[in-house]
Amino acid sequence: MSLLRVESLSMRFGGLTAVNQVSFTVEPGQIHAIIGPNGAGKTSLFNAITGVYQPTEGAVLLNGHSPLPPFAVRTAAGIGVVTLLTALGVVLAVNVESLWEAVITANYIYQEPFPVRDAIVSFVQYFRDTELRYSVGAALVGAVLGGTGAYTVWRRTRWVADVLSRAGLARTFQNPRLFHQMSVLDNVLVGMEGRLGAHVWHGLLKLPQHRNESREAREKALAILKFVELEHLVDTTAFCLPYGYQRRLEIARALASEPKLLLLDEPAAGMNPREASDLMILIQKIRARGISVLLIEHHMRVVMGISDRITVLEYGNKIAEGTPEEVRANPKVRAAYLGGADL
Amino acid sequence: MAAGARTGAGPGLYTQAHWLILGIAALLPIADLVLPQSLQVAGLVRPILIFAVLGMGLNVVTGFTGLLNLGVAAFMAIGVYTYAILTCDIYPFQWGFWGGLAGAMVSGMVAGLLLGLPTLRLRGDYLAIVTLGFGEMVQDSLKNLDAITKGTQGINPLPPPTFLGYAASQEQPLRLYYLLLGILAVVVLLTRNLENSRAGRTFISIREDELAAKCMGINPMKAKLLAFVIGACLCSTSGALWGANLGSSGEPGNYDFQLSVLALCIVIVGGMGSVGGVLLGSVVMMGFNSIILVKLTAFLTQRGLIGESVFTSPANWKYLVFGLALILMMRFRPEGLLPSRRVQSELHEIDSGLSAKPRVEDAKP
Repeated sequence: MSLLRVESLSMRFGGLTAVNQVSFTVEPGQIHAIIGPNGAGKTSLFNAITGVYQPTEGAVLLNGHSPLPPFAVRTAAGIGVVTLLTALGVVLAVNVESLWEAVITANYIYQEPFPVRDAIVSFVQYFRDTELRYSVGAALVGAVLGGTGAYTVWRRTRWVADVLSRAGLARTFQNPRLFHQMSVLDNVLVGMEGRLGAHVWHGLLKLPQHRNESREAREKALAILKFVELEHLVDTTAFCLPYGYQRRLEIARALASEPKLLLLDEPAAGMNPREASDLMILIQKIRARGISVLLIEHHMRVVMGISDRITVLEYGNKIAEGTPEEVRANPKVRAAYLGGADL
Repeated sequence: MAAGARTGAGPGLYTQAHWLILGIAALLPIADLVLPQSLQVAGLVRPILIFAVLGMGLNVVTGFTGLLNLGVAAFMAIGVYTYAILTCDIYPFQWGFWGGLAGAMVSGMVAGLLLGLPTLRLRGDYLAIVTLGFGEMVQDSLKNLDAITKGTQGINPLPPPTFLGYAASQEQPLRLYYLLLGILAVVVLLTRNLENSRAGRTFISIREDELAAKCMGINPMKAKLLAFVIGACLCSTSGALWGANLGSSGEPGNYDFQLSVLALCIVIVGGMGSVGGVLLGSVVMMGFNSIILVKLTAFLTQRGLIGESVFTSPANWKYLVFGLALILMMRFRPEGLLPSRRVQSELHEIDSGLSAKPRVEDAKP
């Protein structure tokens, strides 16, 4: 079964179609490259796959399943609870002053014990005395507000980057987007975030769960840094790193989320030949760990050297796909890169 | 190795400064033995302690998570009024100091949640405007819900705090002082733990780059909401302490935009995101605001040096001095008096000899 299956995915911004009906699959253990001239829609495709954008059309399947969280019983229950709570809140708040006077002020005599029973009776009485339609109206307004709000929030948090990251996609960016003021180690630890389970209060009170988890996380992070050969820079602030190292750190951070598929957006951009060949070795090492790689790249030496399959985009359309040799020989690809159909 | 060694963190003065400040605060009352009655430290320093708690709350939201909150006074007001309603004997509840404090914390958290849920999708300036509006709303609501909050009269008298059966009223300023200092120390400890825990790392990553944090599996909505709720909880705690300290809720107009700005100044002057910095910021800002200016005005009035003109009273120079202090800070020390290590390294990259790109060969193992 394919690890990633993109089915006729389109991404439109207003009238501009950045990605048009693109389909392809990434098999487990493959290094798959996406190439194309500038503006071909490669990064838009990446953004749509990783949840930065919501695709206009089409589907993305991971291991044959949609990573979208389904509308489960829990979702319905959550929306129901929010609806009820807001309805109740609005009913109580709508005339809170007279409610307070009827229940609290009327029953409390200064420095005497408060008759709770009487207060409950007057609470009920208050709602008997108010015309039913007011209370029902307020409840309806609250329910509509809460219900639609909760549903909208749920819908908007389906196809988003954090959900997809937890489903096994990790990515890097065209320009490294590190957490600049954090140390190298902390950057990697943030990458692990989706896999950690300690609650806030564990950390607040420094409970054993928190200590154990952070020790394990630290060890794992150090192992990953060793893997990308940055272990000597653990405490350095990220923005102090040279560019090539920043890219490596970004890859380390992505690996920390234990992805099934790693998406690299132009990992070799701005690298000198030596750094680029180091990067090729690193990508192959990542594949050897059982992580598939989908990469966008312009360095043809890198692309042709390590890819198992290549997909070529031009103006948002897929114009070719195949092994490096097939793509190299394809006349459409040559035309796209060099211009003119007769070359 | 070079780059790693140069920026290596250590338990230096910067990272432990908050304990130093708290330690000095704990010893301060000794000075009362020699100082005249009108300069008794235990009484004068209490607002500093309470505003430090307020600053801590704002620091979690603005310093760690990078969400500009201009409505902290509202959360403080909610804390004061909840505490007042739950403890004052004109209401039936009378839960006592700790009950009132807990109630204030819970109501602050609920208010933070209610404000945060619909608005935290907004970014930067827009969120700041919403929080600003929230501050005005709360103030007006408290003024107009006359039947519940007694409107502009405020709620008083509030009972003095108690601790293990001892009352810490205005007549025993030392007890009250140490009670407040103890609570502040707990708040500092918890904030430090938060900063060094998983949640704190999440907050900072959102401040640094929200999109990247999202792509790393962090749910930004959840994290921001958490920061907002924790911040609101600390702000309303400071409100409850303020009420307990004054013995009155004060009037709703006290919790206005100026108070929010004062809290923001405490965080900025001290150093955004730095726990020790917030303490120092509170010492500087509140020390100036509620000790130096007040004493100076009293002194000058006593000597008859102040005439009818509003310009001659030092209390009226307050905002002039605040503004000037902020401008000078931004020009000469934008990271604050006691910055967190991270911010300092970013802003003084060149002075400390760390160029953005150290030589590659140098750093190779």
